[in-house]
Amino acid sequence: MLKKHPLITFIIFGFILFLISNRLDELIVYHGATVGIYVIAIASLILLTGYSGQVSLGHGALLAIGGYAAVLARIHYNAPVWLTFVVAVLATAVGGALLGMAAARLSGPYLAGTTLALAIGLPSIANQFSVFGGEQGLSFDIGFPPASLGEDFTQYKWYFWISWSAALIAMYWLRYVLHSRYGRSWRAVRSNDVAAELAGIHVGRNKVLAFTISAGLAGLAGALLGMTISLVSPGVFPLLLSFSLATGAVLAGVTTLGGVMIGAVILVAIPEIALAIANRYGGSETIITNLPGLLVSGLLILTVLLVPNGPVEQMHARRAKHAKSGKASHSPVELTVRVGSKTWSTKK
Amino acid sequence: MIKINRQKLITASAVIAVAALTVTTVPAQAFNPRSKQPGLTATTIKLGITLPMTGIASPGYNKIPGAMKAYFDYVNDNGGVNGRKISLVVKDDKYIPATAVARANELILRDKVFALVGTLGTASTKALTSSTQLSRRGIPSLFVNTGWSGFANKKAYPTTFSILPSYQMEAKVMAKYIKDNYAGKKLALIYQDDDFGRDALAGFKTAGLSFDLAIPYASGSQALPATGAGWISKLRTAAPDVTVLFGVSSATTALLGNAFAAGWVGKTQFILGSVGGDATTIAATNRGLVGLLNGAKGLSFAPAPTDSSDEYIELFQTIYAAAQPKETFDNNVVAGMSNAFLAVQAIHAAGKNLTRKRLINAIETQGSTFANPFLTPLGYSRTSHVGATGYWIGTYGPTGALTADGGKYTVFTTDSGNGAVVESTYKRPAMPAKGLPN
Repeated sequence: MLKKHPLITFIIFGFILFLISNRLDELIVYHGATVGIYVIAIASLILLTGYSGQVSLGHGALLAIGGYAAVLARIHYNAPVWLTFVVAVLATAVGGALLGMAAARLSGPYLAGTTLALAIGLPSIANQFSVFGGEQGLSFDIGFPPASLGEDFTQYKWYFWISWSAALIAMYWLRYVLHSRYGRSWRAVRSNDVAAELAGIHVGRNKVLAFTISAGLAGLAGALLGMTISLVSPGVFPLLLSFSLATGAVLAGVTTLGGVMIGAVILVAIPEIALAIANRYGGSETIITNLPGLLVSGLLILTVLLVPNGPVEQMHARRAKHAKSGKASHSPVELTVRVGSKTWSTKK
Repeated sequence: MIKINRQKLITASAVIAVAALTVTTVPAQAFNPRSKQPGLTATTIKLGITLPMTGIASPGYNKIPGAMKAYFDYVNDNGGVNGRKISLVVKDDKYIPATAVARANELILRDKVFALVGTLGTASTKALTSSTQLSRRGIPSLFVNTGWSGFANKKAYPTTFSILPSYQMEAKVMAKYIKDNYAGKKLALIYQDDDFGRDALAGFKTAGLSFDLAIPYASGSQALPATGAGWISKLRTAAPDVTVLFGVSSATTALLGNAFAAGWVGKTQFILGSVGGDATTIAATNRGLVGLLNGAKGLSFAPAPTDSSDEYIELFQTIYAAAQPKETFDNNVVAGMSNAFLAVQAIHAAGKNLTRKRLINAIETQGSTFANPFLTPLGYSRTSHVGATGYWIGTYGPTGALTADGGKYTVFTTDSGNGAVVESTYKRPAMPAKGLPN
């Protein structure tokens, strides 16, 4: 269905999500909005790492650029909400393009180190310039939901609708891009950049383009994150966020977009599970604070050991293997060799 | 870029049309903020607080929930409030506004508290109030532990009540004291660079006091101990006669620690704002620094924690000693228990048929007459959500205890605007019997 009618599949999926949001508890709706944001952020990281082979450990910094761009547009130019997201995407894409130019010259641990330094350094800039509001940040108020949605339409549901609308549009568009010439070029560059260059692909240009698009998506996620917290500050984009997104991408399967939901749901669910465990066994504040990190780390190690390409990729590989072995047992390959007038065949 | 053929377009349009029709027929969800009173039963009331229990700003503040619970338990053991027993859900936000938002969401959505009480920190309280839409939901935010004067804006914060005097009031009282006692002296100021510190700047400006040196520092900074070294270097160069610190206690610790390390002790008269002058908090980081407080000036609006002659302090000391026998009774405990005391007064005043709306109405209409331990009048009314309205000034001793100058509490009162700073004639009413609502 997804392969044949992607647009319809996305619309139906979105429709079901919006229907569900009417029936769920508010806390789940709030978490659902966060899942939508993580879907975009993890997809952006998968595009960069899984498809174009560039490692980023500092994606939180790109989210921060998007968040600040959106809130500044809102505060200083009173931009409508949808426009703040556009500004976030464009501003972060420009930042990503500049970063991509530097990144194209780096690879492996050097690139990882550079992006990590960015994640550590960028949020601190907010403390240096008063326009960014220092440590306490800037209030990102998108206002109440439209009155036409009814008086009982909660703010959390409004966040959910906006986040998931953005996520579905972003994922549909990203799916299209990855199936296009650009997506194929990126995969070629990731697999073997020398071979790709010999095939006529401009490696540097493709790496910068991937970084730009990935950054644009990260910027969108950053603006949405600021929206749900109603605040854009260094504390919204800590180093831990960058590591969480990298973890989410590994759990999702870094080479495919298929598992992006799994990664996003796990990132949101882990603190809840940790809290439930801590409450059940009477855990202290220290346990409640540290248990989520422990669970995520454990899951990360298990994923790398058991399903290094992620559960979805693993499932695809198993299905393909099963299909292959199934064909071998039920419909063996028929081989016919003809030499002159003589014919040998495996067909009985 | 995206090619869609006609058939796909028709199908997509049909799906959207059906979706739109269905959405319009979906019944309104069960949630209705005005018809329910979460966290409330005939016999219980659930309150929630988020504050720094861990992290750089936590020492001292993390005693507040224990103090609040001690008083709530005391009330519960004596029959509760209007037949209801109070429980308190505590969350740790590490003094990070984004974390405070997440914790407040948990309190409201998962724990379903009836009201928030005593949330701490200007930036955190502002962020969570806006993000969780407290005003739209009608959720009371009782007696927030911040003196940011912006919370007095009833239109923006209709359900939020502060307990502290505003930082503008504090700065104005401090400015009068400096003008009266250190006229013509060289002045320096270290302040937290956020709404907390900027509120104080506005107060100093209104009072017409300017500083020869002003050093801002980032709020919530984990690098405070290192940053403090830079302050001493600047202070040593400027050589001020008086140095005012308008920051949290971890900033005071950084200031004293670095001053001691640099051998710059006794070179200036320190004046500490009420937020940053708690000796127990400083001792929690470095007990050796407490002695350096000796001779520093400080401000408070509650009776000193060491003043056992005060009937409220005597009661609080008794209750706290039974509940937390291993903990020291200090300013944070007085703050926590006073907060709980005022919350109980408000819930009691709202009556048996308690609702969130009735609770807010009770504070607005009767709040200025609530029994409370403070030495200044309460400013609650239909037009003001500000609690205490003044300060007394004292001197820290070698053990870090703040004692009123002249052997008695001389309270100065003012407003957050252009009003004058005047000596208060307020006489606190006697405490209700056994410190229970009547």
